[in-house]
Amino acid sequence: MAATTVLPRPKNYDDTFFKPISLWLTTTDHKLIGIMYMVTGVLSFVIGGIFALVVRLQLSQPNLKIVDAETYNQMISAHGVTMIFFFVTIFLTGIANYMVPLMIGARDMAFPRVNLLGFWLVPVSIILYYSGFFTGGALNAGWTGYAPLTEKIYQAKSLGVDFWAMSLIVWAISGIMASTNFLTTIVALRAPGMKLTRLPLFVWAQISTSILLLIVGAPLAAAMILVEFDRQLGTQFFTTQGRPVLYQHLFWFFGHPEVYIMILPGFGMISEIIPVFARKPIFGYMSMVAALFGIVFLSMTVWAHHMFTVGMNPYVEGFFMFMTMLIAVPTGIKFFNWIATAWWGSIEFTVPMKFVFGFLATFLIGGITGVYLASVPVDTQLHQSYYVVAHLHYVLFGGSVFTIFAGLYYWFPKITGRLLNRKLGEWNFWTLFVGFNGTFLIMHTLGLEGMPRRIATYANQSWATTNLIITVSSFLIAFSVLLFLINVVRSWHGGEIAGDDPWKGNTLEWATTSPPPPYNFERVPPIRSFMPLRDLRESGEHVAEPEPVKA
Amino acid sequence: MAALGLVAAALLLSSCDGLGGISPIFPTPVSPNGQDIYDLYKGISIPAIVIFLGVELALLWVVLRYRRSKQPVGYVPPQVHGNFWLEIAWTAAPLAVVLAIAGYSFVTLLKDFQPPTNQQMTVVISGHQFGWEYRYENGLVVHQEGTLAGDVTPFVVPVNTLIKLQFQGTDVIHSWWVPAISGKTDAVPGYDNVSWLKISQPGSWRGECAELCGVGHSTMQIIVQAMSQSDYDAWVKTQLATQSPAASPSPSPS
Repeated sequence: MAATTVLPRPKNYDDTFFKPISLWLTTTDHKLIGIMYMVTGVLSFVIGGIFALVVRLQLSQPNLKIVDAETYNQMISAHGVTMIFFFVTIFLTGIANYMVPLMIGARDMAFPRVNLLGFWLVPVSIILYYSGFFTGGALNAGWTGYAPLTEKIYQAKSLGVDFWAMSLIVWAISGIMASTNFLTTIVALRAPGMKLTRLPLFVWAQISTSILLLIVGAPLAAAMILVEFDRQLGTQFFTTQGRPVLYQHLFWFFGHPEVYIMILPGFGMISEIIPVFARKPIFGYMSMVAALFGIVFLSMTVWAHHMFTVGMNPYVEGFFMFMTMLIAVPTGIKFFNWIATAWWGSIEFTVPMKFVFGFLATFLIGGITGVYLASVPVDTQLHQSYYVVAHLHYVLFGGSVFTIFAGLYYWFPKITGRLLNRKLGEWNFWTLFVGFNGTFLIMHTLGLEGMPRRIATYANQSWATTNLIITVSSFLIAFSVLLFLINVVRSWHGGEIAGDDPWKGNTLEWATTSPPPPYNFERVPPIRSFMPLRDLRESGEHVAEPEPVKA
Repeated sequence: MAALGLVAAALLLSSCDGLGGISPIFPTPVSPNGQDIYDLYKGISIPAIVIFLGVELALLWVVLRYRRSKQPVGYVPPQVHGNFWLEIAWTAAPLAVVLAIAGYSFVTLLKDFQPPTNQQMTVVISGHQFGWEYRYENGLVVHQEGTLAGDVTPFVVPVNTLIKLQFQGTDVIHSWWVPAISGKTDAVPGYDNVSWLKISQPGSWRGECAELCGVGHSTMQIIVQAMSQSDYDAWVKTQLATQSPAASPSPSPS
């Protein structure tokens, strides 16, 4: 192949962060929008983490009054809302915004200006939610905000619930915009040769995530609009005189698929990272895709498993139990395929790969406890207890957050052109792994012993030691996140230069420069399989190495 | 180092999961429905622990055996893209396991989670911010107003009596949970939710509200006290004497 001349990158893009603020505010470049999503997500992670630390301090010993019950209720609600809506979902949208167009060889998203609007709705949503704190108190009914506790007569003094409802409406609109954009981009803008059967699994994961959010975003907004009708217009949808359980149905019809919206992109990342570091193709590509869609379908048929104690017909409960347990099957397929991919491999345990194995080891526990919780009789015992808190952190922290770290360590060099420091990364992983398990593993026992979640304090002395261990471990998590932030800041400025393809990747994003130019690819490489870059490397063809850019 | 950590982690995880499975922690059930839940929990734990150990050991094996430093220099992994029958196998096997678990669970569900028809007495339990009210058929009412310390007025029941519990909500949703007796039942405004208990021995058991219901949520403590039939009859007699004719707030029992 003829040597390619590389166009000099425009000056603005020489460095990915220090750009004029006017550019950040107006850019329609999916990469810059992706970075803004991710930065927003990480900031939310820190804020949500601080809420969690306050909660843990309060629970570290019986009868503590570090914060009063009302503040405590606002803290747990803000922790949940921040982590779920403003951190995990937003961060994952960001990394997909950055990577999906690159992975399919596109120049940008299909609707760059919708992308711009969709992103800027996120800070609007976040500011709306936190505004609640200045109106006499933010949401204090847990992140799920069950009616009728959110109704006006039980919230005499504050407008926090209104701000929460408005925030989620805006959030849902933003999510629907992003999903539409992803689907259109993936359908319409794939590079020549990028057949559907050659899509990277991360892109398939993004397709399934987008379908889910597109379907369940609207019911969330509907639930919130009805809550607002009740509060501001005097309707009786979810009031004590109305049907409070209807709210739970609407909320969980969104809320359970939301769990998969937060984990499927992570599954996609795992499916990208293992083959690269094990030097083997993904095992069972088609069954991986099928499993994704199996999860998409099943996840919309299981919402009432959050409601096994409200008193439904046992046959209805049996249906939801059965569908919930079926999710173990496609998830199991993915698990076995990941292990089979690594089997016989030549595995390089880089930091992203460590996070992948940390994810596999912990997410398994969340999956298994999920089967206990799906069983209706057992669930009536474990529901709303610390067992559930432990379970959901095993799937969302041991699951989503570990995949986010894996993805960040994997793609940071592409995004910034510099590698994250390996030594700090190892410390980050091990402190997080130990801190996480120290916090949440023994938390299961608290639930079995009868400690309900969301209690502001407790008098039972026999829960004291366990709670203290949990609180100490939670600060190890905070320390780990601090190491991570230091690593990001340091490496972004002075990290080791990564080059275009530091990991010997399989997918197209590694074919362009790090960071990629605004137009992404000067020339999209030929695509003959779902690992176009590896094909290129093995065929001995030359991958364009750009000349270093002079400042 | 990675390997060592994973070994340690796996041991830690397995031991703790094991503890949960054959739990000394789970309170000893005193009512048959609680006992069935406990048995079901133990039943699910058998495949759960096997799968947990199997997968974690497989992961450990991958970490220890297939790391690059353990492979010969220049080793090129076999480029396997999948195996149809293997993939069928690990679709079918989990399916069989979850079907078995779901079937077992469904049997318990039908057995214990339908409104009883052969109850010997009925108590209507209603939740409010922040306490419980128990209305017996004989007109007796126990007010269990919440305190954080948990020194609340006990809900008194006779032993070996199948008691139907009928839950009502008056303001927000509450959830009645005494772990030693059985699972939770929500008290939701607008309809009656049903559960039951049949306590086998005299004693007192603690519980509390399990659904966030406002600032006093953690004070909604519950004590259930089971007495022999004769003690219970005596208790009812004193209670009726003190309570009637006007339903004054409940004095402490005995």
